[in-house]
Amino acid sequence: MAKALRIKFQPPLAITLLILGFFVFLPMLSAFEYSIRTPLTGGYGWTHYIWAVTEEDFLHYILRSMWLAGVTVLITLFVLVPTMTWLHLSNSKVRGLIDGLSLLPLVIPVVAFAVGAQISFPEFVQNTVLELPFLYFVLALPYAYRSLDIGLNSIPLKTITEAARSAGANWLRTITSVIIPVIRGSVMATIALTFALSLGEYTLTVLLHWDTFPTWVTYVAQDNILGAIAISMMSLIIPFLILTVITLFVPERTIQGRK
Amino acid sequence: MTSQVIEGGAPSRGRAFLTSFMKNILPAAPLLLIVGFFFLFPITRLIYVSFLSNDNTFTIDNFKTAIQEPYRTGFINSIKIGVFSAAIAAFPGALAAYFIETRGSSKLRRTIAVMSGVLANTGGVPLAFMFYAALGIQGYLTKALKYLGWDLYSGTFSLGSFVGLLIVYLYFQLPLMVIVFSPAIVSLRREWSEAARNLGASQFNYWIRIGIPLLFPSFIASFLLLFASGFSAYATANALTVGNLPLTPLQIGGLLDGNVSAAQLNLGKALGVVMIVISACAVIPYLAIQRRSAKWQKR
Amino acid sequence: MSSKSLSLKNISKRFGNVNALDNFNLEVGVGELVALLGPSGCGKTTALRVVAGLEHQDAGTVLVADKNISDVPAHKRNMGMVFQAYSLFPNLTVEENVAFGLQMRKVSKHLRLKKAHELLDLVGLDSQSKRFTHQLSGGQQQRVALARALAFEPEILLLDEPLSALDAQVRVNLREEIRRLQISLGTTTLFVTHDQEEAMAISDRVGVMNNGVLEQIDTPDALYNKPASSFVASFVGTMNRIPAHISNGMVEIFGSKVVALKRGNESGKVHALIRPESISVVATTTQGNAKVLTRSFMGASSNIICQTADGTIVQSLMTSASTGDLLPGSSVQLRILSSEVLVANV
Repeated sequence: MAKALRIKFQPPLAITLLILGFFVFLPMLSAFEYSIRTPLTGGYGWTHYIWAVTEEDFLHYILRSMWLAGVTVLITLFVLVPTMTWLHLSNSKVRGLIDGLSLLPLVIPVVAFAVGAQISFPEFVQNTVLELPFLYFVLALPYAYRSLDIGLNSIPLKTITEAARSAGANWLRTITSVIIPVIRGSVMATIALTFALSLGEYTLTVLLHWDTFPTWVTYVAQDNILGAIAISMMSLIIPFLILTVITLFVPERTIQGRK
Repeated sequence: MTSQVIEGGAPSRGRAFLTSFMKNILPAAPLLLIVGFFFLFPITRLIYVSFLSNDNTFTIDNFKTAIQEPYRTGFINSIKIGVFSAAIAAFPGALAAYFIETRGSSKLRRTIAVMSGVLANTGGVPLAFMFYAALGIQGYLTKALKYLGWDLYSGTFSLGSFVGLLIVYLYFQLPLMVIVFSPAIVSLRREWSEAARNLGASQFNYWIRIGIPLLFPSFIASFLLLFASGFSAYATANALTVGNLPLTPLQIGGLLDGNVSAAQLNLGKALGVVMIVISACAVIPYLAIQRRSAKWQKR
Repeated sequence: MSSKSLSLKNISKRFGNVNALDNFNLEVGVGELVALLGPSGCGKTTALRVVAGLEHQDAGTVLVADKNISDVPAHKRNMGMVFQAYSLFPNLTVEENVAFGLQMRKVSKHLRLKKAHELLDLVGLDSQSKRFTHQLSGGQQQRVALARALAFEPEILLLDEPLSALDAQVRVNLREEIRRLQISLGTTTLFVTHDQEEAMAISDRVGVMNNGVLEQIDTPDALYNKPASSFVASFVGTMNRIPAHISNGMVEIFGSKVVALKRGNESGKVHALIRPESISVVATTTQGNAKVLTRSFMGASSNIICQTADGTIVQSLMTSASTGDLLPGSSVQLRILSSEVLVANV
């Protein structure tokens, strides 16, 4: 039936947004004001931002964080997506097990996980920064799993697969060129989520003594506070932009809609 | 399901097992290996080592120390900040989620979803800076409040104190509440409120008999998740406190860094295990409630 | 019985720039079951929701037993409503759901549970009274919804496509049950559906709606045999539209002249509207006026699709016994069985 077009002004919503906006943006804008101060002239400028991006370490650490997050996304795409598709198709007994396992990281505080990780892995794992994407993958697993689960539940997976198979596609092609495109909404959401979480991870990274973009800020803060604030502002804005851009590609219906 | 034809005899049974294994488990092997090695193994080892003394014999001494001072205060503070930050954030967050989900346009809801996602993950040094700028001694809000006659810093207040930390934690707890509670709001069907009105229920009666009972489990579940989040937050506390507020995550971090030394080498592991137990007490009921209410939501 | 008459006078309702209801009028007598039938988006659900008070009309009045209730809020109107689906409260048991309306009317617990069991017994679900609603099948849920809507003895019963989410077999059973209950309780009922078979099967009168306007309201029989407009004619039942020529009030179809019933041009090209059962198909050995395309057997009757020499597709419904020699491709003679036909402009 024809839906009511609500263009009406909504006082409760407006008040809610006002209060939330105040709480969210006041600290953000305050810090932003600090970050554009130029103490020498007493005015405002992009001095600290320019200082930060021309700093050699800036590029080094941001690239490192990016590629670590990229690897995490690859693990998600090449391990989690095919496995979950298979689980949904096969009714395998391990599905219950994996369902439960995927939620388990939610139970473990990251600090405790870091302690466990520090005392468990053999040298060759501890010595490579590549251990981080796998650990990030574990941290993101509960969210990634749920978001893919919603996507896979929303399509007639069995019919689609049988159609693709009978049209002559092998399993790999079925997954890569049929299933993933069909659930691209939730795959994109999963990628966004995994990428953002990996990019911003601090606790585990710092406790395992690795340096990435989020931990680098701490060092900068020791001798250039305003520069560190500028970097902090960027570290807030970057994931925000990434998430916004990616969610723009997500078709609306994958975000649970109301009738 | 695979029903294998068993041709009799031991060797073929072995082969049947092998094909069944290959069909039922092998495709999940990469995921199971990653989760097993990078997650289950460290957690198991953590639990195991927490029961070892300095000379690797079994002991529960680590746990005995873990529940004594100063670690006892650490746990109490951590639980307190988890409970308070969750309690303060839960109701306003739920209300905000309600207004946003029921009154907001689809564009607004999507924008808020993205923003909440980012904000719920803020923490550490960036978050500390933001609050120094707003509520620090020279902060804008501090100055504004002083102008209005309320000197925040006349007493013992600081951002690194319990109350200060609590305010800062709300910055990620509120968006987290919006994220976790929104699905419950969305699952409230319009038909229910319409049916209730049709059957003679006023708005008030609808909320008392239907709306609140339906949302309550999700509300409690969200509260529990917020507790776990506040209880185990590390980065922000680490950035704001200077050793003046004992919190378990910081104590573990100190032991792990070697900044703090303890007579018992494996004390940090025992603290970690106790944290897991406390966190599990909140998260497992959360998961159970989520699963139960999914029954109403799924059609 | 507490049942009352319902009338809607000059109701208009707009959503944005869509006219959901345009000066809409409807009368439903005491104890009568009237169905509103129409394609989706025709305004039928809006009409029902205006009656229930869930939408407020922009103009016009709603009268129950000649009392203007236009400004009475939904929860003070004494009307029971059955929704499309999923309207049962999931936190209450079946009997609590059914007793809800009485609870809101402050009826004592003992009395309202007694009434709830009475109603559940009527819909054959008394044994399920302690269960939660998600444990029931779709058909059972709608029975409970019906019991709930009737438990507080409403003045009017409103049914908003209550069968559309159910399987075909359940749908037929439940609609008969709704009718049986409605007659035995004598409740004035407004029934919204897009399924014409459903509407025709159980209603006293059916109103056909299009674009927010009531095109025709009449008994199922009259609607089928004397449609008031070309839209009604095509929407209710199957209708052949056969190009023909009209002059002096007569049209020539398949070689015979029949009386044209009003409407449409006085002369020139028109469409003759003819029901499939009014066309007979007879096999010929000579050159007929059409060829058989398909024949589908449906038990007692068969559906024959033919194509005339000028390319028009014609559908005929005949008893299966007389269709044995109508094989696809065979040459046939079409004949019109009625002496008068409806015509519509091309």
